[in-house]
Amino acid sequence: MDRRNFFKIVSTVSAGVASSACGTKRDALIPLLVPDHEILPGVEEWHPGVCTECGAGCGVIARVMAGERIIERNGEKFRERIACVKKLEGNPLDPVSGGRLCARGHAVLQSLYNPDRISQPMRRAGDRGKGGFSPISWDEAIASVADKLAKAHASDPSKILFLTSPQAGSRSVAIQHFLQSLGAPAAQTCSLADFALERKAAASVFGWKGLPRYDLGNARYALGVGADFLGGWASPVYYARQFGQFRQARPGIRGKLVQAESRMSITAGSADEWLPVRPGSEPHLIVAIARVLLDEKLARNVDQVPGSVRDAVLAANLGDLIRASGIEERRLRRVARELGESDAPLVIAGASTVHTNSFDALVLAHYLNLMLGNIGRPGGVLPPNASAEGPEAANVPEALKRAQILLLDDANPLYTLPSASRVTGALARLDTIVSFGMFVDDSVAYADLILPSPHPLESGAAIVPTVSPLPVSINIATPFVQPLYNTRPIEQTLDAIARKMNIKLEGVSAQSFVQPFLPPELTWDEAARQGGVWHDDNVAAAPVKPLANKVEWNNPVFDGAPEQFPLYFQPYLSLQYHDGRGANLPWMQELPDPVSSAMWDLPVEIDPQTAARLHVETGDWVRVESPHGSLDATAYVHPAALPGVVSMAIGEGHRHYGRYASNRGANPLSVISPVWETSAGALAFGATRVKVARLERAPGLIQFSPNDREQGPWGYR
Amino acid sequence: MNDTNQTPHRWGMAIDLDRCTGCQACVAACHAENNLPVSDPASAAKGRAVHWIRVDRYYEGEFPNVRVKYMPVLCQQCDEAPCEPVCPVYATYKNPEGLNVQVYNRCVGTRYCANNCPYSVRFFNWFDPVWAAPLGLQHNPDVSIRMGGVMEKCTFCIQRIKRAETEAKNEKRRVADGEVQPACVQSCPAEAMVFGDLNDPESKVSRMAGSGRSTRLLEELGTQPKVFYLQRAT
Amino acid sequence: MATVPETIPYGEVRRDLWRPLSGASSRYLITLLLLSSVAFWGLCAWGYQLYKGIGVAGIHRPVFWGFYLVNFVFWIGISHAGTLISAILRLTDANWRKPVTRAAEAITVFALMIGGMFPIIHLGRAWLFYWLFPYPNSRLLWPNFRSPLLWDVTAISTYLTGSTIYLFLPLIPDIAQLKEHATGWRRRLYGALSLGWTGSDRQWHALERAMKLMAAIILAVAVSVHTVVAWDFSMSIAPMWHSSIFGPYFVVGAIFSGIAALIIVMAIIRKAMHLEQYLTAHHFKNLAKLLLLMSLLWLYFTVAENLTAWYGNEPKEMIVFGSRVRGGFAPYFWVMVFCNFVVPFVLLGIKRLRTIRTAIIASITVIIGMWLERFLIIIPTLSFGRLPAAWGNYAPSWVEISISIATFAGMGVLYMLFAKLFPIVSVWEFEPHVGPED
Ligand SMILES: Nc1nc2c(c(=O)[nH]1)N[C@H]1C(S)=C(S)[C@@H](COP(=O)(O)OP(=O)(O)OC[C@H]3O[C@@H](n4cnc5c(=O)[nH]c(N)nc54)[C@H](O)[C@@H]3O)O[C@H]1N2
Ligand SMILES: Nc1nc2c(c(=O)[nH]1)N[C@H]1C(S)=C(S)[C@@H](COP(=O)(O)OP(=O)(O)OC[C@H]3O[C@@H](n4cnc5c(=O)[nH]c(N)nc54)[C@H](O)[C@@H]3O)O[C@H]1N2
Ligand code: SF4
Ligand code: SF4
Ligand code: SF4
Ligand code: SF4
Ligand code: SF4
Repeated sequence: MDRRNFFKIVSTVSAGVASSACGTKRDALIPLLVPDHEILPGVEEWHPGVCTECGAGCGVIARVMAGERIIERNGEKFRERIACVKKLEGNPLDPVSGGRLCARGHAVLQSLYNPDRISQPMRRAGDRGKGGFSPISWDEAIASVADKLAKAHASDPSKILFLTSPQAGSRSVAIQHFLQSLGAPAAQTCSLADFALERKAAASVFGWKGLPRYDLGNARYALGVGADFLGGWASPVYYARQFGQFRQARPGIRGKLVQAESRMSITAGSADEWLPVRPGSEPHLIVAIARVLLDEKLARNVDQVPGSVRDAVLAANLGDLIRASGIEERRLRRVARELGESDAPLVIAGASTVHTNSFDALVLAHYLNLMLGNIGRPGGVLPPNASAEGPEAANVPEALKRAQILLLDDANPLYTLPSASRVTGALARLDTIVSFGMFVDDSVAYADLILPSPHPLESGAAIVPTVSPLPVSINIATPFVQPLYNTRPIEQTLDAIARKMNIKLEGVSAQSFVQPFLPPELTWDEAARQGGVWHDDNVAAAPVKPLANKVEWNNPVFDGAPEQFPLYFQPYLSLQYHDGRGANLPWMQELPDPVSSAMWDLPVEIDPQTAARLHVETGDWVRVESPHGSLDATAYVHPAALPGVVSMAIGEGHRHYGRYASNRGANPLSVISPVWETSAGALAFGATRVKVARLERAPGLIQFSPNDREQGPWGYR
Repeated sequence: MNDTNQTPHRWGMAIDLDRCTGCQACVAACHAENNLPVSDPASAAKGRAVHWIRVDRYYEGEFPNVRVKYMPVLCQQCDEAPCEPVCPVYATYKNPEGLNVQVYNRCVGTRYCANNCPYSVRFFNWFDPVWAAPLGLQHNPDVSIRMGGVMEKCTFCIQRIKRAETEAKNEKRRVADGEVQPACVQSCPAEAMVFGDLNDPESKVSRMAGSGRSTRLLEELGTQPKVFYLQRAT
Repeated sequence: MATVPETIPYGEVRRDLWRPLSGASSRYLITLLLLSSVAFWGLCAWGYQLYKGIGVAGIHRPVFWGFYLVNFVFWIGISHAGTLISAILRLTDANWRKPVTRAAEAITVFALMIGGMFPIIHLGRAWLFYWLFPYPNSRLLWPNFRSPLLWDVTAISTYLTGSTIYLFLPLIPDIAQLKEHATGWRRRLYGALSLGWTGSDRQWHALERAMKLMAAIILAVAVSVHTVVAWDFSMSIAPMWHSSIFGPYFVVGAIFSGIAALIIVMAIIRKAMHLEQYLTAHHFKNLAKLLLLMSLLWLYFTVAENLTAWYGNEPKEMIVFGSRVRGGFAPYFWVMVFCNFVVPFVLLGIKRLRTIRTAIIASITVIIGMWLERFLIIIPTLSFGRLPAAWGNYAPSWVEISISIATFAGMGVLYMLFAKLFPIVSVWEFEPHVGPED
């Protein structure tokens, strides 16, 4: 950890002593909540918190300084000095962020101070979906929600549906308790970033709960398959830090990364070698490699691999597999050999784009790692974080059909589910929709009532990172600035609702959540001051013996007749917007897209041959048509796109999401087919075929660097 | 000991392209630290988006033998800065620590410096910047907001440098290696960027600058940049 | 051969040349109104830009300099019409110059006024333009004399002062004569301007010496001014700008466009003021020959500039070069070559074709061509900088276009007013045995 951050954090831990030790004058002992009148102009204080822009749950520290806002009281405007958050940095004590942040992490400030935040409880005014609301009091709001829920509670609690984010922590537990006391079904996630498949695979192979951790930093040779772990997958900051160490931190050792993906993600771009696998052929690639390892006696740990699995692999037809993967044999064999011969090999498999057979790939990858003997070893695959159980994923459209009352918290089904799954209709016919969110997004526009939460930086929470090097890792946020608006933490709101309904509710707070994980030497206050609890004390070593012993590699299924819809359509989680939630942050809108350098929009990425055939050039408008709808967007002719594979980043195309995101660009998910893969019930958003046609419209792609070749268009060298 | 009677600092940066993932955390960090104006789609389309640090990406070759190159480009803080002599009002000049600084109050907006910066890292305020309330609450009080009609660019986060130097001076010590971290460097998840004193042969940045992979951008122009790029090993 | 006016009795000459000064035809008034409203529109556009911010112009990163700087170089070029030509002709005592010089010198002064405005219009904070002048101020702030822009400021203000004096000196005897015959405000005006000219030998001697001296000085200044303008570009390290040939190249281009401008202006005066007897085919033919010569010189420099770049094959330069000769800027480039070389060469090179009309046509194309040349020097280099990731194109906004057009109208207005106040052809130079006996 670097010196500056060290001082910063120490001073927030036990400031009195530390600051005299390190001699920084500016850090006073930090009260957990700074009353605005105590703020000194120009005096900065750093407070720990948590970034909730994605499931990674990085611990952050926030720089708090004086600021002035203009407020209006009975018609009269005047200035009010308040404590403002000026900057976020990673919490250097947090083993996940290690003091670093991703681009979105910085932009969290723009959701805190977003001009489109909901400032008080609201009731719908006008039709559903129009996004018109009128203010009401908290009492009214809570009363009417309680009333609706009471009815459902009395008749059929199973008609209550709670959609939330995959984030595990105090918030999700509070929601869980609330639903239990109602006798309602458990909350469900509704996100493309819940990594349900990865969790399911780890559970079925090793009985692990949560996402396994890949110890890239200590590996020597890594094969990434389908996981854009430096971009949108799992825990970008953590894996970027690992990558840095993997590449250049060890004297004399430089890790080599080979990335197999059907688009050139930034991970593939940063890799030493990119294997452009055909969409959905990841399982076949993995089996092929496993097969080569076995054939060439490079599966050093083969005896731990269940016989049935080994036999299945040996029975496979290598030729077919290689043909399916689309990688030339020489290259594939070389990679397999290098992997097998490395003294610290690692296979990182994920489903950045989910296909119908992605689960097969993930399971196979675990067995491949088992063959390489790196499970539970440094530089290998490590068991997940304790208590990382978030809400379950399930088929939301089905649930929506059954539901009467929908409770929304940090979930946007209308955006993240294919239109073809009739979400709009489902929302329209629901009795009641209640949102606890901060913004009016596509789905909240349909809500009847909004009981707004404060921003995570304004409220307390305990968050369990999806991946962490320490078995016990919980990042803690304690409120340190006054909420800007008339909002209430969801825990408090649910509690009030329960009381109104006279049902008993076991309250949950960050503290009550963390308490059981506190090591003896650490008090809650200290934990809160340092922003988390991180240790590996008395944690039982997770098993590395496989439970399941079955592997298969089904061919991917794609919706849409090849002759009519010749192109594979591959939506993916964007670096700027993640699953779309980042789209209301101006900094992210203006951040050049790493692939196309697009700003304020996301283009359809088309390979040069296809583009030439369609007479499409970068910037032209195209219509992407699938069996279930069509979208219009600008095109980017991507020099590194697979022929016949059309990719598009997810994030734009919101109907409602504030001034920066509303009606901007197109949502790739709006045209995909409602195909759910069977093992974990995850949306197979890569399982759609499309056709693309050029539109006669003035070119419209906004790029920061339109030119993507180092030599000029005239090719002088 | 006192910071003042020592050899002056010579702040420089090293960027290890073998670590850089092109994630652009540095870009966002710079926005957050330095109150960069956010444009809108219309002006962004006009080429008026401002990024003091940008990640240049170049594709090389054709599929399947295609690869991409990421390269963060910020003000190279040239010792022989071509932007400086052309400024008619000394609004951009070399400060005693070798930083190329920009005096907003003094700039009249001829944009000559920008034409003469071979790295195209200078950005102009075409209008007065605007932030929809309450976005402005985030502004960093240590960094002035630039009015319309003046030039701006990466400052190496001079406000952070000054703060560290003042603290060191008060404590009668020299600024420790790694004590000053510009926002982009601080944020970089892959730890590809390193900042420090090039006058200190022991500093991490000096050692990286001496690495076999170390090169400087458009070095042939004799601009003497103080940003060193460690080339990718493959 | 003797130039025509010598054959006309002086009284008649004076009547002819004074006629335009009195009264104003409706045609004159309408044209003046038209031009001044266009000029006014330009002023409004500028006002809008000052109010809203320089961003209302089309310039942006990486093309930080656009139409304004193109116009700047263009007009400073035009300004070389007068002084240079008239100075050369004066010094060489070319007799046929007499009817031409004043018209030329007037162009210089007005073109300079207009050209000099553009760097200010171009500023991000135009209201602070005076910071570029070295004036004592409480903050002891001085401008940076290492900056070519400072050289510009110095050179152009010198040139403007010089050429104004140079225009004024030969006016004095005419003004004095006018005073005798004028009444009312005109009398007072001429009275003030004639500086007590009585036509004494001493005064004649002084004037002659002053004019010869100024001619010499102004030549030097004129050459240096456009060299300095060229250095704004060649002192930088941008591809295709950093070129030692730019100084002379710009001067030649300037004289080239200057002569073209002069021919056009003379043609207009000739028609509008019925001065066919004074501005004869003879003058046009002589100027046409000059124009042809400059066209060839221009071609030589253009070839020299581009050939060396192409042969050197320096990648960054080749990108800019390529964009001009075969890329997006190619159409402008080849139109320029057509306008600046093909047309003058054919029309003026072939003796049979060399007439007043063809001279005018050639001049018009040269004006267009030379404007394009300035455009092609500035924009492509900025569009294709050294780092390809920062490439970008440029399209002017209505503001830039309005202001650019308005300056041409402005030129017309200034010229028309001048021609109303002072004889556009020097009168006294036709008077037999004026000046000192020798
Ligand atoms: N670019 C640029 N630089 C400039 C100038 C400029 O115009 N442009 N102006 C120059 C001039 S004239 C000056 S005077 C200097 C000013 O430069 P500084 O002296 O640095 O002035 P500030 O940065 O405004 O204030 C210094 C610190 O004092 C803190 N502070 C505010 N109130 C108090 C207080 O009550 N107690 C304590 N202990 N601290 C407090 C502020 O928050 C800030 O962190 O800047 C100079 N530098
Ligand atoms: N909001 C705010 N107000 C402040 C302060 C602050 O930090 N913030 N600081 C206070 C302090 S310490 C001071 S010293 C004062 C300073 O107050 P000012 O003296 O106003 O300081 P500046 O605004 O930096 O500069 C004044 C003007 O000088 C112009 N200028 C720059 N170069 C030249 C030049 O060559 N010639 C001329 N004529 N003008 C030029 C600048 O464009 C600016 O408009 O402000 C005080 N007021
Ligand atoms: S990885 Fe996720 S949690 Fe971490 S900083 Fe980025 S957005 Fe925030
Ligand atoms: S933050 Fe670091 S890794 Fe990311 S783009 Fe910038 S330099 Fe590269
Ligand atoms: S990089 Fe450009 S702006 Fe920075 S010092 Fe060098 S020339 Fe000047
Ligand atoms: S834009 Fe400002 S800093 Fe740049 S040269 Fe002109 S006055 Fe100097
Ligand atoms: S050093 Fe500071 S100003 Fe420069 S790019 Fe990095 S963050 Fe921005």
